[in-house]
Amino acid sequence: MKRGYATDGRTILRSSSGLQIRLGNLGAAVCLLCSVVLLAGLSAGIGVTDTDLRDFILHLSGAHLDDSSAYALWSVRLPRIAMAFMAGWSVALAGAILQSLARNPLADPGLFGFSQGSITAIMLLLVFIPAASKGLMAAAAIAGGFGVALLLIWLVGGAHSSGLAILLMGIAIETVLSSFSSFLLLYAPPETSLALSEWIAGSLFQANWQTIAFFLPIVLLSLCGIFLMGSTLSVYDLGNDMAMAVGEAVSRSRPLLLLFAVFMSAAAVIAVGPLTFLGVMAPHLAGFLSKSTGRARLFLSAFMGGTLVVAADALTRAMPGDLTIPVGLSLTLIGVPLFIIILRLQALRRLQAH
Amino acid sequence: MSLRGLYMLGMVLILAITTAVHLSVGVGTMPDTLSALISMNAETYEQAIVIYQRLPRALIAIYVGAVMATSGMVLQGLIKNPVASPSTLGVTSGAALFVVAGAFMFGLGAAAQGAAALAGAFFGFLSCLAVARVAGRQNDPRGLALVLSGALVSMLFAGITNALLLSDPSQRSHFLSWVTGNINHVYIDRLYMFWWIGTLAITVNAFLARPLTLIMLGEEKAVSLGVNAMAVSWLAIAAAIVAAGSAVAICGPIGFIGLIVPHIVRPFASNTMQYALPASAVTGATLCLLADLTAKHVFTPYTLNTGLMLELMGGLMFIVIVKKFYLSPKMERAT
Repeated sequence: MKRGYATDGRTILRSSSGLQIRLGNLGAAVCLLCSVVLLAGLSAGIGVTDTDLRDFILHLSGAHLDDSSAYALWSVRLPRIAMAFMAGWSVALAGAILQSLARNPLADPGLFGFSQGSITAIMLLLVFIPAASKGLMAAAAIAGGFGVALLLIWLVGGAHSSGLAILLMGIAIETVLSSFSSFLLLYAPPETSLALSEWIAGSLFQANWQTIAFFLPIVLLSLCGIFLMGSTLSVYDLGNDMAMAVGEAVSRSRPLLLLFAVFMSAAAVIAVGPLTFLGVMAPHLAGFLSKSTGRARLFLSAFMGGTLVVAADALTRAMPGDLTIPVGLSLTLIGVPLFIIILRLQALRRLQAH
Repeated sequence: MSLRGLYMLGMVLILAITTAVHLSVGVGTMPDTLSALISMNAETYEQAIVIYQRLPRALIAIYVGAVMATSGMVLQGLIKNPVASPSTLGVTSGAALFVVAGAFMFGLGAAAQGAAALAGAFFGFLSCLAVARVAGRQNDPRGLALVLSGALVSMLFAGITNALLLSDPSQRSHFLSWVTGNINHVYIDRLYMFWWIGTLAITVNAFLARPLTLIMLGEEKAVSLGVNAMAVSWLAIAAAIVAAGSAVAICGPIGFIGLIVPHIVRPFASNTMQYALPASAVTGATLCLLADLTAKHVFTPYTLNTGLMLELMGGLMFIVIVKKFYLSPKMERAT
C-alpha cells in the first residue's frame, strides 16, 4: 500500500495491483463500522429483560448467564440486529444502483414500486399455493420486482422524461399494486391479515437465525457484485450515450445491473418487508459523510443503509409505552422529511447551476 | 339540442336508472321495493333490507360521488393541474389521519370526528402546499412538484395512520374498512350528521361559478372585469376542501372520482363552471353508484370493498394521466 494523490488532489491509498481507495472513504467506512458496533451494543441492551451485550461477552468467556437473559439476547435481540443490518444493506445497495442506472438521485426500489411488485407477487403465490416453499417465494419476489421494472421502463420510455415524472409514475404503479394487495389482505382471515400487514409494514419480529442463514450468502454475494459491477456504475452516472462512448457494453450490463438491484430489493422484501425511502436516504447520507464514486459509493451506501436500519430499530424499541411501530413504518416517518430536504437541496443546486 | 344538453340529460337518466337498479337488485321484487320506498315503513324482511341497507348505501354513494367530483373539478381548474384532486393533494389522507388520531388518542365521538376530518382536510392541503414550497420549485410550470409533494404527504399521513391503527388491534378491525374508504350502510348516521356540510360547500361553489369561469379564462381578465380573483379562488378551494373533508368523515378516503370526473366532463364543459359543476356532480354520483353496484354484485359471492376498487381504478387513471400529460413527447416539447 502506497500513499498517493488522485487527480482532484485528494489523498488515496494505492496497492501494488493498481486498486486504489480514497483515504476519506476509508475513514467514513471505519466511522460507520464503529457506529454500527456501538449501536448494536446499545440495541442489545434495550428491552424488557435486563441484560446487555456485556453479559453475553462475559458468557462467551465462561461466566454464567441465566436462561431468560440468554433467550432475550441469543434468540430475540441479536438476530434482530443482524437482520436489520442485512436488510438495510440490501435495500440501500439497490437504491444506490438504481440511482446511477436511472440517473435520478431520487430513485428508490420502494418508490419505484419494485418492493410492492415483489409483495404482490408473493401474496398472489400464497393465495394460489398456500404451502409454497422459500425458493418459490424468492422466485416470485424477483419476478414481481423485475416485472414492475420492465413496466416502468415501458411506460416512461426513453431518456427524455424528467426525473420527477419517473418518480410520479413509480408512485402511481405502487398505488395500484398496494391497493391490489390490500384486496388480498382484507379478504384473508383476521390473524393472517394482521401478520401479513405487519410484514407489509416492514417488520423485524420474525427475525431468527434460519432467516439469517438464508440471507447471509446473499449479502456475501452482493459484496462480489459490488466488486465486479461497481466500477461500471460510475460510467453510467455520465449517461447512456457517454457510457457507450467510453466502451461500456450497455446492452449487456444494463439489464444485469437492473437484475442485481431487483434481486437485492426482493431479498430484503422476503426477509422483512418493504423499507421505502431507505434507498434514497442511505446513498445521500453516505455522500454527505464522504463523496465517493463506483465501488466505494456502493459499499458506503450499503453500510449506511445497514446502520440506519439498526438505529431505526433501536429507536422504535427504546420508545416508551406499548406502541410497537414496524421498522418500515418508522423509516417512512423519518424518510419523508429527509426526502423533502433532499428535494430542497437538489433544487438549490439546480438554481446555482443556472 | 346542444351536445352539452344531451350529455346532461343522458347523465341524469343514467343516474336515475342506476339508482333504480341499485335499489332493486337482490332479494325482493320490484313492487315490494317500490311500496317500501313509498311508505318508508318496513313490514317484511325484504323491505327492511331496501330501507336500511340499500337506500343508505345508495345515498352515501350519491353524496360522496357528487361532492368528490365537484371538489376535483374546482381544484383541477384553479390549480391548473390535470392530476389535482382531493386524494392526490393530501386532503383525504389528512382528514383520515385526523379522524383516526382523534378516535384513538382522544376517544372522539362521531360528531367530533367530523370536525376533525374538516380540520385534517385543511391540514393535509396546506402541508402539501408547504412541502411543494420547501422543495423549492416555484418555477415549476407543469405542477410536477406539487403532485409529488401531494404523494409524499399522503404517504406520510397514511404511514402515521397505520402506526396508530397497529397500536390498538381491537379498534383496528373497527376502522380497517373505513380507512380504505368503504361505502357501507352502517355509515348512514354519519351521512345524516354531515350531509349539510357538503351541500353548503357545493352551493357556495355554485354561487361562485361565474367568477370562477372568468378566473379560468385568465386571472387578469377576471380582475379587469371586477372579480376579486384572490378571494374567489381561495373561497372556492376552501369550499372544495370542506366538501371533501365531509365525505371522508362519512366513509373514509375515497379517490378516483375526484380525479377522473373532471376529465370526463371537461370536453363538454370546457371552462364554463356554470355547466361543469352540476355536470360533474351528476357524473360523480353516477360513477360512484356504478362502482358500488359492481363491487356488490359482479364478484358474487364476494362483496368487494368499494373504496379499494375505486383506489385501484384511481391508480390506473393516475398512470394514464401522468403518461398523457407528463410523459408524452408532444407535451415535453410544448413546455
